[in-house]
Amino acid sequence: MDAGLLEQMLLGALLGLSVYLPLRCGQLSLATPGFFAIGGTVAALLSTRLPALAGSGSTYPITSVLLEMALAALLTGVLALGLGRVVLRLRGIYLAIATIALVEILRVVTLNLEFTGGALGIFGIPQPFDSAAGYAAFTLALLALICWLCDRLEKTRPGRAMAAIRDDELAAASQGINTADTKLLAFVLSALVAGITGVVAAHFLNSWNAKLGNFDASITTLAFVVFGGSRTWLGPVFGGLLLTALPELLRPVGDLRLIVFGAVILVGPLFFPQGVITPELFKTLKRIMLRPPTPAAQGGKP
Amino acid sequence: MEALLQLLFNGLSVGAVYALFALGYTLVFSVLGVINFAHGAIFTLGAYFTYFLIGGAVGANGLMAGLQLPFALPFWLALPLAGLGAAAVALVLERIAFRPLRDRGSDPLLALITSLGAGVILVNLIQLLVGAESYSIPVETLESLPVALSIAGAKVRTVQVMLLAIAGLLLAALSIWIDGSRSGKALQAVSEDPITAQLLGINSGRMIQIAFGISGFLAGVAGGLVGLSVSIAGPYFGIGYGLKGLGVLVLGGLGSVPGAVLGGLIIGLAEACVPAELSGYKDAVSFGFLFLVLLIRPQGLLGRPQANKV
Repeated sequence: MDAGLLEQMLLGALLGLSVYLPLRCGQLSLATPGFFAIGGTVAALLSTRLPALAGSGSTYPITSVLLEMALAALLTGVLALGLGRVVLRLRGIYLAIATIALVEILRVVTLNLEFTGGALGIFGIPQPFDSAAGYAAFTLALLALICWLCDRLEKTRPGRAMAAIRDDELAAASQGINTADTKLLAFVLSALVAGITGVVAAHFLNSWNAKLGNFDASITTLAFVVFGGSRTWLGPVFGGLLLTALPELLRPVGDLRLIVFGAVILVGPLFFPQGVITPELFKTLKRIMLRPPTPAAQGGKP
Repeated sequence: MEALLQLLFNGLSVGAVYALFALGYTLVFSVLGVINFAHGAIFTLGAYFTYFLIGGAVGANGLMAGLQLPFALPFWLALPLAGLGAAAVALVLERIAFRPLRDRGSDPLLALITSLGAGVILVNLIQLLVGAESYSIPVETLESLPVALSIAGAKVRTVQVMLLAIAGLLLAALSIWIDGSRSGKALQAVSEDPITAQLLGINSGRMIQIAFGISGFLAGVAGGLVGLSVSIAGPYFGIGYGLKGLGVLVLGGLGSVPGAVLGGLIIGLAEACVPAELSGYKDAVSFGFLFLVLLIRPQGLLGRPQANKV
């Protein structure tokens, strides 16, 4: 497979995880592209304006990329902490639209500011890797790390508190869960993942502009999660990988490819209302793997 | 004074389109509790239908290149027909993207995604068939009407006055229908609770279809009007309006018809007040405004507060 496409798929999976984190807590936040855009802008600005980061070698040092990631995480984290306090008082579709408004405000401001390069954006972002394969390996490691953290989160107290809020916020609160702080945690984690992903994407894409964090991106990333499933972290990863790859894999059908892509998004939820990947799927798989076929499974109905 | 009047007219005519747009969202939201993300695509479709019906030829890039109707309808006839065409598409949309979910009792959130899928299909279908170029509906379509009017010293484009008048007419008709007719009351009952409404002898499924039909009609007409007053800037041009309509919807209050109108006019006026040298920030103004209103009054200006159910 083309390493460039693989890299895009991995970035899609990371963005899917970013939308998934608040959704697992029952919060429909579409702010991911906004934080993604902030991460990308931070990386683009630092790597093109600060000669100290460039190092002496022929390629841009990875330590500088890591430093950009830390700064992007710090910035998006602090921003999410402040904004989250305010917007998370909203529920359901109101939260979704407030976050869309945030993304749009951010996009318009980036588009009009001088130092972010306006409509053209920032060009010539230095490359820490010679090839797309290098990026893919780096992003794969990052994805694996974040997946592992998500898995840990789901098995620990804050993660379980998130699931409880998703099922019933009032009941969760009456069990002594601090719902406001738990929701805020999910929102901040989502922003951190999006910001870090933005840093990698900016280097990979080589240029960065305001268009990369827009309304379309909000909805597409939401589709990753709803299509893949929002019950475990594997869902958004699967959805992100597949739905990012799909338009490219459909190249052979030419002009029809986006129509087919739309049809997949349209039909997917009809057949998989919980998303494709659900905990039940694992249970079924486990049963099939562990147990020899029973007479009932062979079609012998009593 | 003239400048102020000019500003008012600019703002109101843009606001009227936003209001028409947001009303379509509101109708569907009030009966289903979901946002129809394909609404922008229906709006786009209405604009293309209007262009086609007034005898416009399809450009060279699409599969239907050079296609042209053998007759040319006058604008006043083409616009409602385009609206009906858009309504028909909205009904198909309800059938394939919304009803299957309702029949299975799925999470309403899923309708966001299925309608998004339907929107992607529609937009790309338009691109495939008629190409990505922009079209404009010539002002000559209005035949004998002058290009601009002079109202109390302010020069106002006829198109803008027309836009305002048609939008006002539709909005008035809609609110009379909702509050004054039996079927309008049935729609309100369904938006309150579809199952109870069904028990009381209202065909909820039919009312939902009616809501989609009207929503599609309003979007189609709004599309045709914008096509006339600005231009049809390619298959994606409904998306920006769709986003703005969403803001208007929340500003006024989800599910509130007068709220959608008020929200549309406020955002239209607010945008008209942004000075030319800051016009790049226009969209940020309306969304910033929306954001503030959400924080202070989450149910919107005229919406009912969300009940905290135990």
